Amino acid sequence: MNDGPLIVQSDKTILLEVDHELATEARHAIAPFAELERAPEHVHSYRLTPLGLWNARAAGLDAERVLDTLLKYSRFPVPHSLLVDVAETMSRYGRLRLEKDPQHGLVMRTDDYPVLEEVIRAKKIQPLLGPRIDGETVVVHASQRGQLKQLLLKIGWPAEDLAGYVDGTPHLIALKEEGWQLRPYQQQASENFWSGGSGVVVLPCGAGKTIVGAAAMATGCTTTLILVTNTVAARQWKDELLKRTTLTEDEIGEYSGAVKEVRPVTIATYQVLTLKRGGLYPHLELVDGHDWGLIIYDEVHLLPAPIFRMTADLQARRRLGLTATLVREDGREGEVFSLIGPKRYDAPWKDIESQGYIAPADCVEVRVDLPHDERVAYAMAEDADKYRLCSTSESKTLVVERLVEKHRDEQLLVIGQYIDQLDEIGERLAAPVIKGDTTVKERQKLFDAFRAGEVRTLVVSKVANFSIDLPEASVAIQVSGSFGSRQEEAQRLGRLLRPKKDGRAARFYSLVARDTLDQEFAAKRQRFLAEQGYAYRILDAKDADRPG
Amino acid sequence: MSLIRALSKDLAARTDDSLRALFAARPDLISPGVPDFAALAARASARVSVQRALERLNRPQMQVLETLHLCTNTDTGHSASAAGLRKLITGSTAATVDGILATLQEMALVHRAAPPSGTAAGPAKHRFYLPVGSLKDVVGIYPAGLGRSYTELVRLQPAFAQRAVQLVSELHRSGADIHDATTPMEAALALQHWTSSPEGLHHILAGAPARTTALLARFRNWAMGAVPQAQRKASITTEGADVGPVDWLLARGLLVPLDAAHVELPHSVGTSLRGGVVIDDFSLTPPRPELGRTTAALRRNAALSAISETLRLVGELLHAVGEQPLATLRSGGVGVRETRRLSEVLRLDQTRAGVLLELCALAGLIRLDVDTSSWVRPADLEWLLVPRQEQWLWLVNAWLASERVPSLVGQPGAGPATGHRAPGGGAIVALSAEAQRPDAPVVRKRILEILKELTDEAGAPDGTAPVLDAVAVLQRAEWSQPRMARRFSSLIRGVLAEAELLGLVGSGALTQLGSAVAADQQDDALDILGEHLPAALNHVLLQADLTAVAPGYLAPALTEQLLLMADAEGQGPAGIYRFSAGSIRRALDNGFDAAGLLAFLREHSATAVPQPLEYLVADTASRHGRLQVGPAASFIQSDDEAALQELLSGPRAVALGLARIAPTVLVASVAPREAAQALRSLGLSPAVDNGDGPALRLRRTTAPQENGRPVYSAPRTAPPAEDVEAQLAVLRQVGAAVGNGTSGAGASGNGHSGEVATQLGLEALQRAIRLKQKISMNVVDSLGNANLEIVVPLSVSGGRVRVFDPARETERVLSVHRIIDIEAAGELRQ
Repeated sequence: MNDGPLIVQSDKTILLEVDHELATEARHAIAPFAELERAPEHVHSYRLTPLGLWNARAAGLDAERVLDTLLKYSRFPVPHSLLVDVAETMSRYGRLRLEKDPQHGLVMRTDDYPVLEEVIRAKKIQPLLGPRIDGETVVVHASQRGQLKQLLLKIGWPAEDLAGYVDGTPHLIALKEEGWQLRPYQQQASENFWSGGSGVVVLPCGAGKTIVGAAAMATGCTTTLILVTNTVAARQWKDELLKRTTLTEDEIGEYSGAVKEVRPVTIATYQVLTLKRGGLYPHLELVDGHDWGLIIYDEVHLLPAPIFRMTADLQARRRLGLTATLVREDGREGEVFSLIGPKRYDAPWKDIESQGYIAPADCVEVRVDLPHDERVAYAMAEDADKYRLCSTSESKTLVVERLVEKHRDEQLLVIGQYIDQLDEIGERLAAPVIKGDTTVKERQKLFDAFRAGEVRTLVVSKVANFSIDLPEASVAIQVSGSFGSRQEEAQRLGRLLRPKKDGRAARFYSLVARDTLDQEFAAKRQRFLAEQGYAYRILDAKDADRPG
Repeated sequence: MSLIRALSKDLAARTDDSLRALFAARPDLISPGVPDFAALAARASARVSVQRALERLNRPQMQVLETLHLCTNTDTGHSASAAGLRKLITGSTAATVDGILATLQEMALVHRAAPPSGTAAGPAKHRFYLPVGSLKDVVGIYPAGLGRSYTELVRLQPAFAQRAVQLVSELHRSGADIHDATTPMEAALALQHWTSSPEGLHHILAGAPARTTALLARFRNWAMGAVPQAQRKASITTEGADVGPVDWLLARGLLVPLDAAHVELPHSVGTSLRGGVVIDDFSLTPPRPELGRTTAALRRNAALSAISETLRLVGELLHAVGEQPLATLRSGGVGVRETRRLSEVLRLDQTRAGVLLELCALAGLIRLDVDTSSWVRPADLEWLLVPRQEQWLWLVNAWLASERVPSLVGQPGAGPATGHRAPGGGAIVALSAEAQRPDAPVVRKRILEILKELTDEAGAPDGTAPVLDAVAVLQRAEWSQPRMARRFSSLIRGVLAEAELLGLVGSGALTQLGSAVAADQQDDALDILGEHLPAALNHVLLQADLTAVAPGYLAPALTEQLLLMADAEGQGPAGIYRFSAGSIRRALDNGFDAAGLLAFLREHSATAVPQPLEYLVADTASRHGRLQVGPAASFIQSDDEAALQELLSGPRAVALGLARIAPTVLVASVAPREAAQALRSLGLSPAVDNGDGPALRLRRTTAPQENGRPVYSAPRTAPPAEDVEAQLAVLRQVGAAVGNGTSGAGASGNGHSGEVATQLGLEALQRAIRLKQKISMNVVDSLGNANLEIVVPLSVSGGRVRVFDPARETERVLSVHRIIDIEAAGELRQ
């Protein structure tokens, strides 16, 4: 009988007891093939998925090592069927290989003749293939490399892509480490990515994903296309690159609705690329028409579908995805894997927090009782209106006022979903409101003022969810969330996690109307955070302004 | 002399040790006991007993017996010796054959006989033998897998008889070395002669089309085969150059059509293909399969994980059934809907849930409540209280002894062994009659023995273990018990899967536990397992995501409590329980209060209780009981609160059992009609609201049944020693008293017990059937009058005799039990 830190469950999850003396060792041993699923305080759970196992194969790990690791660290006997299944799944990877043939260009090869036969006969795959060269080789249309890989993954025969990458136009980029240093995990992430070729780096908000991107660019020294969610984020990338690398203003271009510059390093928004005119995407040419050596996808979990399709054609270029969470509300994690690449680096938030790189956070759910008349209105409302009714309860506004009063010396954000509610709160707090129709210039001005401490309280709608760096915000009050979106909650909390100058803990309040849909959705969102190790305390509204 | 009588003498002359060996080999002979040797001989000659005896023979024994059967004739007394048989069995020696014959004689399957007439009584070592009379019926029409002779086929297949003459003359004309024939019998003899030597047949086959050899190879083990349009017109005169192998063989009479879809390879062709012998693959040692290897560590890992998983799931299943019994279908078994519910609770697929259900039922952990016809968990189940290794042994013992085959659940209903489909034509459902196999205990026991045999033979060098698969087991079963192998083949995979579930087989290899169980050393198994199962935990880890994780096997009492307040998640050695408002409410419903819940959690948590969980408990508890439910049979409502107060406080309405639940509402414990009457008698005039009252359902409670721990005794392969001794004493005593107990002529044998008489009668009857003799017999009619009838018996089976009555020229069927005695009446007809 072992006394390891792992418990391997027959439903293919692995539990890791965090307080065990071998926990760290075991975590490192299983990280290459198991996906971290939940990381609450005592027992983390990992999941074995075909994707994860194939990832491990791609990284050069064989089934025997995986089984060995499981048996070595497991406290109890490991279910035999699971061992068999792991070996079987891993043996499927790489039976098909995509290779460069000097004569025929891109080809798919196998040593396992029946597999190729099976694959060739698949209806969807047939049109992507060219003529058969011999029993074990078939020509692949170069433009279909991505789609082929995606389809092969779907039918369970993932191909090993040995066809390599184009180098792109060389362009000298170096990190300028003045007064700061690459953190060990950033270094690790960037190295993992580069040795793997393409893939996704998962780091919590505030952990410096931009710098991982910069480090990857510095390693590659090649022209780079960076895809971001919106213009504000594009500006922040630019500022950050100017600060952290040897790149100058002239070398960085912005390609957005307002400006269309193409420079050695170009930052484009998803929006402009997916702009459709007359059935065509006029700006896609930016991607195809230039010899990029590296493409960085910021917030890859938000990658819209047209970009997916576009990415399928870009398989010869190195691709780096950056995100805080691989959870996609549309469940398309598999496509991220096959089109951008496997996950190359992942660290639990709490680990990075314990190393002091992100601020600790205290999450508080404040339960607000609906006043009697609102309760009646809620009970009688149509289903479609219920959520809005309970999220925008007037009693929430009162609680916000009390909380703002309590934290009057701190930089504070009020975040919400419904504009009317935000406007009302803004009015009562005499604070500026940033919402969809606020101009970029105005937004920049307000954000700058907030960073400088001139504005203490900002009321923001969901436009501020992503990629906006507000390092000094230390308190956030979420008055309404967008239904059960887990990644949104994570992003909002992420706003607060940039380390504070005085090392203060951040405080995240979420106001929830008791006994309503609001509470149900909140529970769903919070489960995700609790699984990341951020447990909510729950308070009644009447206790909310007590000190503590 | 009758064969039975000869056997009786032979048995009486044996030593006690020889008889003991006989009883050990054929326990059914003395179960129940027999009064004398004649009865013993009769029973040993009965078809059922011979059938059972043959099931125990291994392949070489069977091969010798079948060869003996082929070259002897019990009717004419034509016997054979080891020297004669040796020539028909390639690879054997006279000594080995003689040894096997001696064993068969010990088993009373063959007996010594005079040399066939015309054979000089050779040297003493040439012992001659005849098989028991009923062997012919038991062996079937294809002994040693060889077909019938041409003469027999001509006699039995009129279509072939018609064709044979023409076929032979066509062959003759086309230049084959065959005599022309004018009658079917002549044609048969000509064909027989033509194909009788291996060289001759080789010569004939030299001109055969390609693939003929491959086709003939398929008739190697069994003379009959399926061929589409077997009665097609195939003739040597019309065949072209591109003739197919089947046509070619049919045109030469080398295959004989039986019906529209089947053909037979005649005896002489079969033996010539085997090189002129009956048996060409004789071997005294069983085939050694090529086995893969696994490591001992993997094997142990697999076994222990399977055991803890099975025990855990059984525990969960019992909990689920305890919560809500499983309803049965009208046709028996637990339906798909109930199985699905169970599989959802257990988080398993339905087939696995069904298998588990069977396992629980066969171990007596759940039982069918006849009143509600649903499966329930008995109260005070002992299983739940014993240590885990004993729980395991309980399951194993019950499994070994059970006639249920859990692994059949989910299989297609029309199993080869039953031949009939499950209701609805779908898969076999759990706990239905279709998963019943009476021979399951024997097969299981034998499979375990074979696994052990193979494992021991293969040896296990340093930390490895041989991997045994169904093919290897079946191959060994076919060697050691060829007559049983068919039954094995349908169950073997299932039994292996079940053994894996119980940790007897792990990673494909027989485990130490399995080895101990196969050797009937249950105590050893208990010790081995006891060492490896971890002790039960008494704590969980509570986490802020509202889960409790039990890092290992949790004490059952604690699990039971936790399941009240949280929902189980996931599947594996660690238990994960998720708290929710719903689950906390359930705990509150079951009598917990907030303080109690928190105290329980604090007591059993290795860590502090997280705030969100505390809040959840407090919050749920504070709102619990907003609606209250209580008993009442009627209500009294009035806007006049004072009137109600008066009723309540006055002494006159005490009998109504009134209680006030709101200022204007009282409830009463009596029915509305009664209440109204009482109120009227008080001078009030109530209006009665005739809403349909709730139907009160009374349920009978049944006394809990005995739920003892199963005590496994291996399926009996030998009778207990005391029975044998008692039987020997009886036989010897009678023998001493009567002396030579058999006497008198006539088959009826007045001095015999019923069993002997019946057996002797049947022997006479069967002999008459074979020889087509007339017999006279006394038959009792429905009024009890005995009538003498002279008939020709045609066949006997299932307790009925089909006879031809020459006087009335009709066929009739008689019950065997109405026949008083039988006597041969006529001469041989032909």
